[in-house]
Amino acid sequence: MVASGASDVDTSTSKHLRGKYAICGIGETSYRRGSDQTTRSLATWAIKNAMDDAGMNAGDVDGMLSYSGNDSTFSTFVAGDLGIRLNFYMDVHGGGSSTECLIGIAIGVIEAGLCKTVAIYRAMNGFSAVRIGGTGARSAAPVTGDQIHHRAYGWQSAGQMFAPSFLRHMYDYGTTPEQVAHVKVAHSNHASNNPKAYYKTRLTPEDVVNSRVICKPLHLLDCCVETDNATCIIVTGIDRARDCPNPPAVIQAIAGRTCKPRADMHYQHGPISTVAGYYAKDILWPNAGVGPEDIDVTGAYDAFTFTAMLQLEDYGFCKKGEGGDYVSSGIINLGGARPNNTSGGHLCEGYTHGMSMVIENTRQLRGEVDDFCPIGPDGKRQHTYDYAEGGCRQVKGAELTANLGWANPGTGSAMVMAKDR
Amino acid sequence: MSDWSKVTRPIPVPDEWTKPFWDAAKRGVLELQRCQNCGDFQHPPYATCVNCISTDLKFEPVEGGGTIYAYTIMYHTGDQRFAGAVPYASIIVEMDKAPGAFLPGNLLGVPYAEAKVGRRVEVLFETLNDDITLPQFRLAQTTSTA
Repeated sequence: MVASGASDVDTSTSKHLRGKYAICGIGETSYRRGSDQTTRSLATWAIKNAMDDAGMNAGDVDGMLSYSGNDSTFSTFVAGDLGIRLNFYMDVHGGGSSTECLIGIAIGVIEAGLCKTVAIYRAMNGFSAVRIGGTGARSAAPVTGDQIHHRAYGWQSAGQMFAPSFLRHMYDYGTTPEQVAHVKVAHSNHASNNPKAYYKTRLTPEDVVNSRVICKPLHLLDCCVETDNATCIIVTGIDRARDCPNPPAVIQAIAGRTCKPRADMHYQHGPISTVAGYYAKDILWPNAGVGPEDIDVTGAYDAFTFTAMLQLEDYGFCKKGEGGDYVSSGIINLGGARPNNTSGGHLCEGYTHGMSMVIENTRQLRGEVDDFCPIGPDGKRQHTYDYAEGGCRQVKGAELTANLGWANPGTGSAMVMAKDR
Repeated sequence: MSDWSKVTRPIPVPDEWTKPFWDAAKRGVLELQRCQNCGDFQHPPYATCVNCISTDLKFEPVEGGGTIYAYTIMYHTGDQRFAGAVPYASIIVEMDKAPGAFLPGNLLGVPYAEAKVGRRVEVLFETLNDDITLPQFRLAQTTSTA
């Protein structure tokens, strides 16, 4: 049942792309509940903001990728609204773990000569339209196929489906809800220094474990926020990225939608608390040429507190079973050795199926995190590195970041980015 | 104790792969798909053995004893049809005699707090309608050696 630790993936072929592509533009709308906008409108604004950030006009972008759960708008509409003539587009199904994977696809299609610059977006009215935690439409669908495995027994939402992984981790390793609550605490501290964050209030571990139980061992405050928003990143070749106004976030390696032997009934084929990162790490680190110990900032997907913990563990930031210690040690806090989700992540900033975490790490590598620090005469933020509430959230000397994207326990994507040298 | 009396469960729709499982459950028998080549059990049923890709698969009766491998207690309603039962225990059971297959279920007949990893359970059958009977679990009634 225990999967082999040795990589069975040929990682020799993509290393030549290390450092050859970069994120040159980032954009987002505000994180709100009740956008009063269509996803088409939200997407248009996010892409326009990213194009402005990249110093690009409509003629500079010729590729588009989006992901959704049938809750967004197709690239063709959005591109037309922005005056962009596309040489390539694709709209794929998917939620968390899509961002990193689609960046890999963008690199692939640029490398193949299909287009030169790709805007990737996620637009969702995740609070006012299709709620991930909500279950109305999904409950009405007939129970077929693999769903016999959960729907008839009252398993429906993501939290309900994922919770047994957390519970078994507690049983196997002695992990406690109080330890895992520190993920929320850290992210809430980070969010308090993020003017964009939906929830900016700093919380304590007691706040988390005293909040009402959603499904044991998950409390309300272990669960992410649902918001309306759109996000966009623009990917292009490193040379072109260097011509853009902001420093490129250089892509070192990607693992895209790596799966456990079964992505659906994942616990039938490996321990239930083992997640896709266990396999993705064997693609990510060799291709990046670095290891977890080299990383300055992590973006471990926090659909729930424990999803961040399980991924940090399986990507090797700590030993298996020691995730509870890792996340409660202070390491993941701003000012700690390796802060996680410095924006506040999905637990506090807002919910965008992972793209916001890539945007945040891009800002970290630029040294231009949009916190409460004053802006100097040169137009750049004068970071204080004082992480007290209402202050800074720039990580000093951030040179390498890792995003660990989560779709479900059985599927994940990851990316390492570096500051341009 | 969870009150299941007001719950109208979503009715599973058998398909080409799951029909034998549901047919057996209707007879009050737990049958799981087993690879006749490598001997692995798997659940839910698929077209091939996911261990060895053999297509020589048969459904075999399986003794209903097992151990709770993981679980959650639902305090918040996802599917509104379950609103009357919260809090309730949804469990994943490692079957004694079907290595490779884990079964989902609710823990019935005892307070939900009785759900614990490692507790011994056994299958019982809950009739949903004339066509569909749902395998479920209760705490093991007999002392087991497992």
